Amino acid sequence: MSATAKAVGAALPRAEVREKVEGRAQYIADLYRPGMLHGAVLGSPHAHARIKRYDTSEALAVPGVHAVLTGDDFGDHRMGAFVKDEHAIAKGKVRYVGEPVAAVAAETEAAAKLAARLVSVEYEELPAILSPEAALAPDAAIIHEDVASYFKVFDTGSTANVCSRTSLTEGDAAAWDRCDVIVEGRFATQPQAHVSLEPCGALAEPDATGRVTLWSANQSVFRVQANVSESLGLPMAQLRCLTPRVGAGFGNKMEPHIQPIAVKLALATGRPVKLILTREEDFEIVRARHPFKLRVRTGALKDGTLVAREVEVLLDGGAYADDSPGVLGYSLFMSPGPYRFRYMKASGTLVYTNKLRFGAFRGFGNPQVSFAGEQQIDEIAARLGLDPLAVREKSMLRPGDKWFGGAEVGSNGLEECIARVKAASGWAKRAELEPSAPGRKRAMAAACTAHISGLLATGAIVRMLEDGSIVLNTGAVDIGQGSDTALTQICAEALKVPIERVRLASPDTDGSPYNWGTTASRVTYTTGRAVVAAALEVEKQIKQHASEMLECDAADLELRPGGRVGIVGVPDKAVSFFEVSARAHWARGGPIIGHNSLVFEKPSVDPKRAIAVGLPFPQIGAFAFGALVVDIEIDETTGKIEVKRAWSAADVGRAINPLAVEGQLEGAFVQGMGLALNEEMVWDGPRLANPTLMDYKVPTTLDSPHEIHSIIVEAPEPDGPFGAKGVGEIGINVVPAAIANAAAIALGKRFNALPLTPERVLRAMLGK
Amino acid sequence: MSVPGFHRPKSVEDAARLLAETDGARCLSGGATLVAMMNASLAEPKAIVSLAGIPELAGIAELANGGFRIGAMTRHAATAGDARLAGTLAVLRDAARQIANPVVRNMGTIGGSIGFADPAADYPPALVAANAEVEIANAAGRRRVAARDFFVDWYTTACGPGEFVTGVYLPPPRPGAGLYKKLARVSGDFAIASVALSAAKDANGVSIRIAVGGCGPRPIRADAADALLSAKFGDAAAAAAAGEALAAAADPVDDVRASAEYRRLVIPRLVAETVAHARAALEAR
Ligand SMILES: Cc1cc2nc3c(=O)[nH]c(=O)nc-3n(C[C@H](O)[C@H](O)[C@H](O)COP(=O)(O)OP(=O)(O)OC[C@H]3O[C@@H](n4cnc5c(N)ncnc54)[C@H](O)[C@@H]3O)c2cc1C
Repeated sequence: MSATAKAVGAALPRAEVREKVEGRAQYIADLYRPGMLHGAVLGSPHAHARIKRYDTSEALAVPGVHAVLTGDDFGDHRMGAFVKDEHAIAKGKVRYVGEPVAAVAAETEAAAKLAARLVSVEYEELPAILSPEAALAPDAAIIHEDVASYFKVFDTGSTANVCSRTSLTEGDAAAWDRCDVIVEGRFATQPQAHVSLEPCGALAEPDATGRVTLWSANQSVFRVQANVSESLGLPMAQLRCLTPRVGAGFGNKMEPHIQPIAVKLALATGRPVKLILTREEDFEIVRARHPFKLRVRTGALKDGTLVAREVEVLLDGGAYADDSPGVLGYSLFMSPGPYRFRYMKASGTLVYTNKLRFGAFRGFGNPQVSFAGEQQIDEIAARLGLDPLAVREKSMLRPGDKWFGGAEVGSNGLEECIARVKAASGWAKRAELEPSAPGRKRAMAAACTAHISGLLATGAIVRMLEDGSIVLNTGAVDIGQGSDTALTQICAEALKVPIERVRLASPDTDGSPYNWGTTASRVTYTTGRAVVAAALEVEKQIKQHASEMLECDAADLELRPGGRVGIVGVPDKAVSFFEVSARAHWARGGPIIGHNSLVFEKPSVDPKRAIAVGLPFPQIGAFAFGALVVDIEIDETTGKIEVKRAWSAADVGRAINPLAVEGQLEGAFVQGMGLALNEEMVWDGPRLANPTLMDYKVPTTLDSPHEIHSIIVEAPEPDGPFGAKGVGEIGINVVPAAIANAAAIALGKRFNALPLTPERVLRAMLGK
Repeated sequence: MSVPGFHRPKSVEDAARLLAETDGARCLSGGATLVAMMNASLAEPKAIVSLAGIPELAGIAELANGGFRIGAMTRHAATAGDARLAGTLAVLRDAARQIANPVVRNMGTIGGSIGFADPAADYPPALVAANAEVEIANAAGRRRVAARDFFVDWYTTACGPGEFVTGVYLPPPRPGAGLYKKLARVSGDFAIASVALSAAKDANGVSIRIAVGGCGPRPIRADAADALLSAKFGDAAAAAAAGEALAAAADPVDDVRASAEYRRLVIPRLVAETVAHARAALEAR
């Protein structure tokens, strides 16, 4: 781009896109180190069993094997984002099929895999708990006997198989008495797999002092560092965590997978060890989207005004807490949707079961509660004979309104989102749409959403090199969504330099400032804020130098496009960043470095307005808003739903890179279509029945509509970088709800369970 | 993954001999299925006999009687693109066109597909509807088996130990229509259920062959269905009865794609739709 073009708002391709298209990008599986060994794990055949003893002699006898580790080789250290309930490898008990029980390092992958299979483990089987209802039965086997003594980061209320419980209430329940119409229903959603193109893996290399360098597929080098440190009982400073390119993360790579095992193998052998999961292992042992059971009740006045809602959820968390308490809390927090209610109560229970961990997945519980809540708004509209979007408009949160519980909402572009999807989709004429062929039914429907972007700590360091070029270091992992490019644009804009003059350092726990992670739609918003503030520090130092060089007051100086600083109103009085930086390096003051760090500090809940019990995040984030319209067709022969067109509007505050925003909205829509229409992890007893890409299907390009219209709405967030807030998740939240709303219009039947497979739809059509 | 013996014979006879003599040998055609299974440790052949070097297995040849021989090594893409497979034989092209995705269609072969005999695959019902014959070779010679008898059970064919598929014989195409209707979860997936239909039309009337895929251990067919449809092709009640006959003959199981019950429900509906499309195609001629 030219020196004068604006960096923020430019639709730039991602900085690393060429490398990826040419196949030169290096992912974790592509890395090699001299003398490197290969790791493999043995998974548990049982869902729930006590480990009686191990015999590793046969495994150790395999030529080329250097180490065979079992739970006995690991100390009693536990990790966990909310509840510290998880060892690095099964110890004492196994809690789901596939859980790693032994690990091997060997000269070749084949030897490692063979040896892993030869580890023999004696088990005493325990009753497998395969549903949340079974977990809550009075005589249920207990999955974590010591849950009461585990360290927890908030008041979880854990007992028996209950991992945590949360409730949030605002308003007066008497509001129900005013309702003219009340709809009530039970809903269920299915487990969904993340299916990132790249399966998880790690490479750990120890040095002579026992310090370990760890590369892995991850969404946060700092969470990797914390989890490995906690689960192996190592000081954090003994670990240096790095990241190669990441082949997507949708929440699956935020918390640990097998990084602790890789580190332990490296320490045991004194050699670099690489451990890459197969696709099947990735399905079976990483994590997945929570299945939800919901009971939801919504009430409204005759004119459609929303009045009251109650939401009760039961969450299957799987064998370990992982991010589940956060998902429970967040789903309840988002369960009103972006509307005013006089009374709102949300409560839920999270239980342990003998399945793999359910954890973070794009949307973080919001798609599940939205599936219920957004259908009920359509039901109310249908009962009252009102336009479903008009009902939403009547009760939508308006600028200045607070969120459920009392959190401040900084900016709110919901009204424009709704107006734009209505106009673009031809909403007013939706009844006139004709099916594309006989034997098909067609309908258009909508849904609205909100999402946060924010949470926790982040930092940025902006360094000016001797030649005046800039290196930005944030520690934020770009998982393919384009944050490296967006943060570079923010930095370039703040310093008014051409984007090519700014380069981004790769995340490194030794050299990067702390960044909680690439999650919660947060990097552009929170890290962007730190980048702007760090750039401001640099600007101050530049101006200090320039004021001495140009003999003027620093307050009279301005940054000029192209990397110059000059006196306001005097065009020929200026110096270049090169001159400034050379002076700083060689003569005065020392190299120019700006840094900033922050933690999101605004409270989630106002205790004067709401009663919260067991809320896992006291400070959460800025709010983004969205609206979606879908146009679908249903094949009456088979019941198969096809999405013809979609209009997805999101209020992103400010689109730092419109191309990347569209990429997120389109990707989220297609992933949401998978959740809505066909994706489902299925268990055959205790064992996952479809842990392969032959059996587990995600939508392909050919299943995606030709028209996915991404509509960017910009209601600037007061403290966002150039007004920006996040967009990574919002586009998925109401895809299932909107499609279910359209199916209900087409067929006159409501769907309260996902996915809307041909089977489910045809049975509903035929009443069978 | 390591394979002790890799052979690349130049003739059918050599291949047959190798397969018969080598313990645990498997033939390799496109490798789309076999190599994936070996990578996943689902297959561990002791020896591989590649069919890639045998000239007579390649390509589609027109026969003296006007029919065709499709060599076992013919890729799905080649079958899908061969305009000579017209009229009643269009059912095979239509099926080939809907297999998987372009990558697999450029790799997989008809011999590998039917030799493997996944009941959810697209060729088996299409070959039954096309009234094809399968040529099988062994160390002693060759024989031909009607497609309807070739598929025996789940992943089991009329090929005995040491035998393999060398080609498929198609009768001369008759004027009419050939259609393949596939229901899958997503594009490129194997079928939940599929219907293959060939409709020959001449002065004497219409003659129908219909088969259902994905709904049992082998392609589902019913003499009653063929007879009903041939006698009363224009008749919705006949189509419904044919659909019911095929649903009754089906032997579906619950799997990750759909339940057995859904398949029974959807067979008559897919049959009715396919018949309606075939009628429209005949009328348009
Ligand atoms: C991602 C994917 C999607 C697919 N989707 C579909 C689909 O939608 N519909 C569909 O019909 N198929 C589908 N297939 C299967 C595809 O058509 C395969 O190509 C086919 O099943 C096997 O053909 P091949 O030539 O690759 O056989 P190979 O992989 O070489 O061999 C497969 C098996 O058949 C045996 N075999 C090979 N040749 C012969 C022979 N001449 N005689 C006897 N046995 C033989 C081998 O020993 C082996 O056991 C899919 C495959 C993949 C990988």
